[in-house]
Amino acid sequence: MLLELKNIFKWVNSGGQRIFLLKDINLSIEEGEFISVMGPSGSGKSTLLNVIGMLDTFDEGEYHFLDESVHTLKEKYRSNLYKEYIGFVFQSYHLLDDLTVYENLEMPLLYKKYKGAERKAMVADMLDRFNIVGKKDLFPAQLSGGQQQLVGVARALIGKPKLILADEPTGNLNSQQSEEIMGLFKKLNEEDKVTIIQVTHSEKNAAYGSRIINLLDGRRI
Amino acid sequence: MFKSYLKIALRTLWKNRLFTILGIVGLSVAFGIAILLTMDSLHELSFDKFHTNRDNIYQVYIKWQTPNGMEAGISQPTPFAETLQSEVSGVAKITRHVEEEALTFYKEKEINLDALYVDDAFFSMFSFPVVQGSKRNPLDDLSSAVITETTAQKLFGEENPIGKTINIQINGKKEPFMVGAISIDPPQESSIEYEIALRFEKNPEYAETKERWNAQYHEVFLQLEKEVSAEVFEKKSQAFTNLHYEGSIQNLKRDGALPNKDGNYLQLGLVPLSDINFTSYAKGFAETSRSSVYLVLGLAFLILFIACVNFINMSVAKSSQRLREIGMRKTLGAEKRQLFIQFWGESLIIFLVSIGIGILLSLLLQESFQTLFRSSASVTILLSSEVLLAAVLLVVVITLLVGGYPALQISRLTTVQSLKGKLESNGKNRLRDGLIVVQFAIAIVLISGTFILKGQIDYMRNKDLGYNKEQVLSFPLTGKRDSYSAVKLLRNELAGKPDILDITASSNNLGRGKDGSQYSSVWGFDYKEQGVRTNTLTVDYDYIKTLGLELLQGRSFDSSRKSDELSAIINESMARQLREDNVLGAQLPASDSLNYTVIGVVKDYNFQDISKAIEPLTLLLNREEGLLYAYVKVASSNMANSVNAIEAAYKKIEPNAEFLGSFLDENVDRTFRREKTLAALITSGSVIAILLSCIGLFAMSMLITAQRTKEIGIRKVIGASVASVTYLLTKDFLKLVLIAFVIAAPIAWWFGHNWLQNYANRVELNWYFFAFSGVLALVIAVLTIGLRTIKSALANPVESLRTE
Repeated sequence: MLLELKNIFKWVNSGGQRIFLLKDINLSIEEGEFISVMGPSGSGKSTLLNVIGMLDTFDEGEYHFLDESVHTLKEKYRSNLYKEYIGFVFQSYHLLDDLTVYENLEMPLLYKKYKGAERKAMVADMLDRFNIVGKKDLFPAQLSGGQQQLVGVARALIGKPKLILADEPTGNLNSQQSEEIMGLFKKLNEEDKVTIIQVTHSEKNAAYGSRIINLLDGRRI
Repeated sequence: MFKSYLKIALRTLWKNRLFTILGIVGLSVAFGIAILLTMDSLHELSFDKFHTNRDNIYQVYIKWQTPNGMEAGISQPTPFAETLQSEVSGVAKITRHVEEEALTFYKEKEINLDALYVDDAFFSMFSFPVVQGSKRNPLDDLSSAVITETTAQKLFGEENPIGKTINIQINGKKEPFMVGAISIDPPQESSIEYEIALRFEKNPEYAETKERWNAQYHEVFLQLEKEVSAEVFEKKSQAFTNLHYEGSIQNLKRDGALPNKDGNYLQLGLVPLSDINFTSYAKGFAETSRSSVYLVLGLAFLILFIACVNFINMSVAKSSQRLREIGMRKTLGAEKRQLFIQFWGESLIIFLVSIGIGILLSLLLQESFQTLFRSSASVTILLSSEVLLAAVLLVVVITLLVGGYPALQISRLTTVQSLKGKLESNGKNRLRDGLIVVQFAIAIVLISGTFILKGQIDYMRNKDLGYNKEQVLSFPLTGKRDSYSAVKLLRNELAGKPDILDITASSNNLGRGKDGSQYSSVWGFDYKEQGVRTNTLTVDYDYIKTLGLELLQGRSFDSSRKSDELSAIINESMARQLREDNVLGAQLPASDSLNYTVIGVVKDYNFQDISKAIEPLTLLLNREEGLLYAYVKVASSNMANSVNAIEAAYKKIEPNAEFLGSFLDENVDRTFRREKTLAALITSGSVIAILLSCIGLFAMSMLITAQRTKEIGIRKVIGASVASVTYLLTKDFLKLVLIAFVIAAPIAWWFGHNWLQNYANRVELNWYFFAFSGVLALVIAVLTIGLRTIKSALANPVESLRTE
């Protein structure tokens, strides 16, 4: 088992009232799954993804990731944990505008303190695999949306994570670009056995996955 | 990692080049100015610190209780030093010290030198090392002279001066001296200055005052034994004072003076050598104050502070535009520490560049700074290891605070918060607003200070001083001729010239002439069982007429009456002191057998600096005193020609003397040179302060309008006009300026009020000094923000809404 959520609650207090963002979520995910999280706007999809990605905290419940109990970990260990095992892909790519494609790919490796030669080899490998060697010196603003997201996925993969979290990865792309990215996810899942959790609005994208989790008002239905 | 940080830092700085440049300009200017000002204050503070015996050397002053309160002074009588050393234990060395002009002759050369008459202990007490000649005791012989290196060059050129004989005119007679040694030139940070040093016994007053305790005309410095403290010595000296000043003490008692808290009427005091440059006796006691130096140092810090505030505000505002980057870095595994180092590093780059430019700037401006503020300080004073260490520490602290604060804010944000790209702000940014308020308050205080200083200077310049300062020219009579015959020759020479109206002379200048000298001479005597003190002035005939003084009673001196040489003309203050119904005919006792008869009263005029209240004055035709300055009244037309004519005439009479003539209004201007320097300093300080504050305000208005683009768009879509949007954007800033004014006005008033207390004649502190500075700050602020806000108010709302 890769991760397990038990009775997760998350809330905010607003005007004396407690508003639940996540309500009693139970979920366990095996390695190699490809899961789609669906639900209307405001149903808590992104919040759930952020909790799984350890970017956000929760107020009640237990979260086990591999053999660690995330809810008892200090922030520093948590960040080491996700740095090691999790890659993120965002709807709006979130590439660093001031860095070239090459440098964007290199950035996670810098934070993981890889040696220079090793970094070079890993980045070159990734550029090769995604067929973007010719774009390595361009800045994000010089790429199309599809290409930017390609770089985004490459950046998420470069640290060899066990889990990829994708928050509406195709939300800003046209249909052809969407298919390309989804195809890529499918291939990664099947060939490289990477576990993927994606948030999506589209039934079509959800169909790429092996399991669908539906949320409404912070609850699983 | 480091390389990557540097790369991204440089790219970010380049992308935001406008802000980078604004930041660098502000900080560089501030650093440059701060370096110059610090240099100047350190130079001031280093005064007299170069003497190796400085911890044991003191200047002796005397304070006495008069019926009108305390008075203090540093003038001592001739027998004082010797008696003090022999009667009070603890004095290791002692020297008398009087400075006078000395006309010096060598071969055909004839030069006026600044001579110092001192005792032979002088060179072993003070550190003016001898570079050539007898090092041991260069003044052991009565007729030996010590000259400085510059004087040696001036007088002897290439010749070896040691052993040469020079002649010096003392009391009208040429006396021979032998050059025994050459000392270094007194350094710039020395309050003791000389071009030639001679034995005290040779000074013109010596012979006459050898035994007299009531003729006080020179200063005394003493070096205490190592184990003796100043307080102990001051106490021990009381018996000496009581014994030798018995007569004066009795007079003070009789006139109704009250003893001080120790029960004494006269008391000696010691001022440490390193304090004498900062000590004033104007308030009746020795007041040592370095506040003007600290004012300059404070100005440096204020300017640095303003620039730092700009920088903090800009980086905080800028960082909010980089939230996504920060969030992304966090999801990629960046730790707090790494983010802090990255952002702090970017600030550090700006700081290092600014400090570099600041240093260059200070080197470039050094010379103009020295001329503008009459400072002889140079940047080399900053090169000592302590100063450098302090500077490095200061810079590290500033960068940590200024660069570190925004960096800390950033690194603290949670990942999800920053990925959303929005700060959860509660609308107000207290710290930013507070800093802007402080910035503008400083600027307003400085602007008010400028107005008050300018007001006081204008007041002093335009005040009616009671004499004609526009048409009268004065110049020192420095030649070798007897002054009376020189004036007589001058009268003959200029006779018949229609533009030369009157000629006279006196023993003192009005204001401060080109020679820079000011004298004072005080005469105390008993008049009808009551002590009277008056300033005295020896004048020539026509003095009252030439200067346009107003004669209230009696008559002026008359050259046809021989008896007028025993007459006196007094001013109103003096007349009041004499308490006579009819003051004409009053007899002022000069000695047991000699009386001066009052023949006239002139209206009070400011014969001393305008900062002082008008004191009692007595004009005498004392033929035993020399005349030191000639006065010529010229017609108001062709003034330049008249000046040339006077110069030519004087050159004819004294071919070797320098003509240093200047009109009295220029002389008066020179007496408030200190105020003018201060005004120049505060003015430039306030200009820089307001400029820097505006740079900050400009940057803030740009960033804030950028942040509110969406809000502006929405407001315009629902029908807001350009004017209302502009008002909305400007209002918040103007509120800050207004708060700053409310804080600054009382502070400025307090400083101005206290400063003006130093002046007997002072401008009134008007509300408009402060109102003007407030309005000025407001107008400048509006102009700074206005352009930017109008531009964003005019923008098409479709554009501004599309950004989301």
